[in-house]
Amino acid sequence: MTDTYRPAEPIWCAGCGHFGVEGALLLALSDLSIPKEETLVLAGIGCSGTIQNNLGTYGYHALHGRVLPTATGAWMANPKLTVIAAGGDGDGYAIGMGHLIHAFRHNPSFTYIVMNNGVYGLTKGQNSPTRHGTRPIDAILLGLSVLETTFVARGFTRAPEQLRDLTVRALKHARAGHGFAFLEVLSPCVTYNDTYALWDAEYVDLDTDGEHDPTNRSQAFSRVTELHAEGRIPIGLIHHTERDPTAALADPSAADIGPDSHIASYEDILDRYKVERHNR
Amino acid sequence: MTRPVTDFNAMVAGQGGDGSLTVITLLGNLLARRGFHLYTSRNVGSQVKGGHTAGLLRGTMVPRTGMGDSIDVFIAFDAEAIEKGGSRVAQDGFVVYDSSGGPLPDGHLSDGVTVLEIPFGRLAVRDLRRELFKNSFALGVISRILTIDDADTAAVIKARFAAKPELVDPNLQAMIEGFAYADEHDMAEGAGPIRLAKVKADDRILITGNDAAALGFLVAGVRFFAGYPITPATEILDFMTRHIEAYGGVAVQAEDELAAVNMALGAALTGVRSLTATSGPGISLMQEAVSHAGSAEIPLVVVDAQRAGPSTGMPTKSEQSDIAMLIHGGNGDFPRIVLAAGNATDAFELAVIATNLSQRIQGPVYLMLDQTVSQDSSTVPPFDLTTIEIDHGRRLNQHQLDVIGEYRRYSITDDGVSPWAMPGMPDGMSLVTGNEHDEWGKVSTEPRNRVDMMDKRARKTDAVLDDLPSGHRFGDDASTVGILGVGMQSGVMRETVELLASDGIELAGLQPRTIWPVPAETLAFVASKERVYVVEHNHSGQLAQILESVGHSTDTMRSILKYDGIAFTPLELADRIRTGEAG
Ligand SMILES: Cc1ncc(C[n+]2csc(CCOP(=O)(O)OP(=O)(O)O)c2C)c(N)n1
Ligand code: SF4
Ligand SMILES: [Mg+2]
Repeated sequence: MTDTYRPAEPIWCAGCGHFGVEGALLLALSDLSIPKEETLVLAGIGCSGTIQNNLGTYGYHALHGRVLPTATGAWMANPKLTVIAAGGDGDGYAIGMGHLIHAFRHNPSFTYIVMNNGVYGLTKGQNSPTRHGTRPIDAILLGLSVLETTFVARGFTRAPEQLRDLTVRALKHARAGHGFAFLEVLSPCVTYNDTYALWDAEYVDLDTDGEHDPTNRSQAFSRVTELHAEGRIPIGLIHHTERDPTAALADPSAADIGPDSHIASYEDILDRYKVERHNR
Repeated sequence: MTRPVTDFNAMVAGQGGDGSLTVITLLGNLLARRGFHLYTSRNVGSQVKGGHTAGLLRGTMVPRTGMGDSIDVFIAFDAEAIEKGGSRVAQDGFVVYDSSGGPLPDGHLSDGVTVLEIPFGRLAVRDLRRELFKNSFALGVISRILTIDDADTAAVIKARFAAKPELVDPNLQAMIEGFAYADEHDMAEGAGPIRLAKVKADDRILITGNDAAALGFLVAGVRFFAGYPITPATEILDFMTRHIEAYGGVAVQAEDELAAVNMALGAALTGVRSLTATSGPGISLMQEAVSHAGSAEIPLVVVDAQRAGPSTGMPTKSEQSDIAMLIHGGNGDFPRIVLAAGNATDAFELAVIATNLSQRIQGPVYLMLDQTVSQDSSTVPPFDLTTIEIDHGRRLNQHQLDVIGEYRRYSITDDGVSPWAMPGMPDGMSLVTGNEHDEWGKVSTEPRNRVDMMDKRARKTDAVLDDLPSGHRFGDDASTVGILGVGMQSGVMRETVELLASDGIELAGLQPRTIWPVPAETLAFVASKERVYVVEHNHSGQLAQILESVGHSTDTMRSILKYDGIAFTPLELADRIRTGEAG
């Protein structure tokens, strides 16, 4: 038995929404009995980007905005891992937005949790692309508009049971190989943009709305846009489809790289470059 | 009257779609069948189709990496070709000019040049209904100039179009028309004005530096590649896309270079040997991630196939102006290794070494190429695949991890390298971060820890100093005058040294293959000379500046610089040195 690092204490301000995200994630990992050594949590840069230190899993601190490509590379290299990307709204929707669209499009089987607080917490309060009153972007709508998306959900740290449930569903979706599980969490920053009251008043829970059919993409799209027009923000499982798990994914981490076993086939490649001689 | 040739230079030029490159390939096949060593190069504009393109081919008795000074046979498919390339034709050279578009423009060729004006294009359309067949027509004529047996020429055409049988007959027909033309112009089979020497033929491959490097990486166990298309690095992406899957690996075309390099980091984190390759603007974009690999201690290999900068610069032209960035780029101080290949053999060998070194130092290693090394082809001995070794460095297996007692990802060791467990391994959980961290990977700004960590990382490259690839020496080592250069300078420097030696000017030559850290070999070489010419394709003498930064005096170093996008030829470089010696 070898000892390794002890999970850190969160560094967040008392009341920060990110506590709720971490709590839900820990519960979901234990609900699904996912071993910590098989879990790789990659986080962006921001207050949100410290979550990986607190879990006891394999943790990675990506460059600002690059958590998605890093997670994509890790998952492609070892698809046996439960890969979880996490980060802030600045990290994911400002500097890293270009990657989000491509993650939707490629549909890699890992989970991405965005802690949306409408602000840059770590750098002390600048606007993020989701800040109320700044013509905010809605990544849920964006996800719905990319036809390859398979899992789009939004939680709210004020609804912890639902958040735990959505986290479980996201992890299950990705682990079953259905694809990219995108979970945005309304996670208020009490210090620079306290939106608890605002979101309390605005949120509409689609999980408890008998009309909402998460398997119907266009209905989901209309519903979300209508709610926006009414100044409301939807939470719950917004859209979900099950893709056939990609047949036989490559697993580079298990590839045999010993040169001996491949010499003959490497020679075949080399042979294609051989120069033909006249008088052999 | 037949003149024997041992060093044969040919150029074929025309508009992009003319098939200049096909003629070069076929002519190369003809020379190779006679045992010649080959070097081929392309001179293209950046546009996809159209625009002027020149294919260059050199056949030699000894291996050469670079074109000669003048062209023996020039096939010009239009007037622009003559205007642009006519002055490069040797005094006793031949020009085969396609007069379909008008007569030969005056004033571009020296007096001794023999000109054959033939309306290839028009004849090909008239007799074979497709202009493209003019290439085989031209080949027929050239093979007679070179006194090559007709049957040989037919054989290479058949081999070339074997996959498209419907093209064999018309191409042979065009070739025969070329023979007929030669017959009418006093060049019967076996009696041309030039005769190629016979060369002892051994096994050879004809390969570009990019393909050679890509094969080296594959053989070294690289199983993850992410890239974004960019000239002149794209062939590495192409090669990996073609081959890596068969070995259980993955090649990805990412959405941009930031994604490519971070995907490679993510894959490397799981223990898979990972690579990205780029050029110019792409290598600028990747600097943040390379710095991250240095700080977070992730083995990452990056190929920089340099092209002319700054900015988007001249995408298809060669330059060596990223040297300073590779050595100093990325924020902060972190250890890195920069290797530089001078030809395809180097590219293969250094790819293997770079991959192993990145595992050993758990950090970033660059393989530096330039457009010339990347994209020109040359014949080299087949690579030895039987002696490849895979070095895992301080990577732990589960048993080793289980007995270690306590695992700290960034444990401080004598050589700075920490034992390394991969995600998925029980009891090996770690925190990996580019922020300064303690041994556990927890973020820390504690001053003492900071110093220890910086020093630990720096020790990693010191520990491999003795294993860094040594350079290639040439010329007269005893001379007090040296010549030093990397990459695209490698071949031409050797020829220049031979040329000057025949004039009684002896030079000692060094082509370093490790440029950072600056190896003891380079330091000793420069220190032992009264004067060293440092040959580079850039405006500011970046390599010389690096040597200066490690203590060499600018009094002894003389920069020979070029930045027009065109490689030196031997005479040109010899002239620059003669001027230097006179001054
Ligand atoms: C390339 C780069 N630019 C800027 C920064 C500075 N920076 C650190 S965190 C951050 C924003 C974090 O906001 P968000 O992702 O919303 O996370 P939060 O702190 O709100 O959880 C910025 C701009 C950086 N680390 N890297
Ligand atoms: S600044 Fe805001 S986001 Fe950061 S820890 Fe405090 S409350 Fe949370
Ligand atoms: Mg934020």
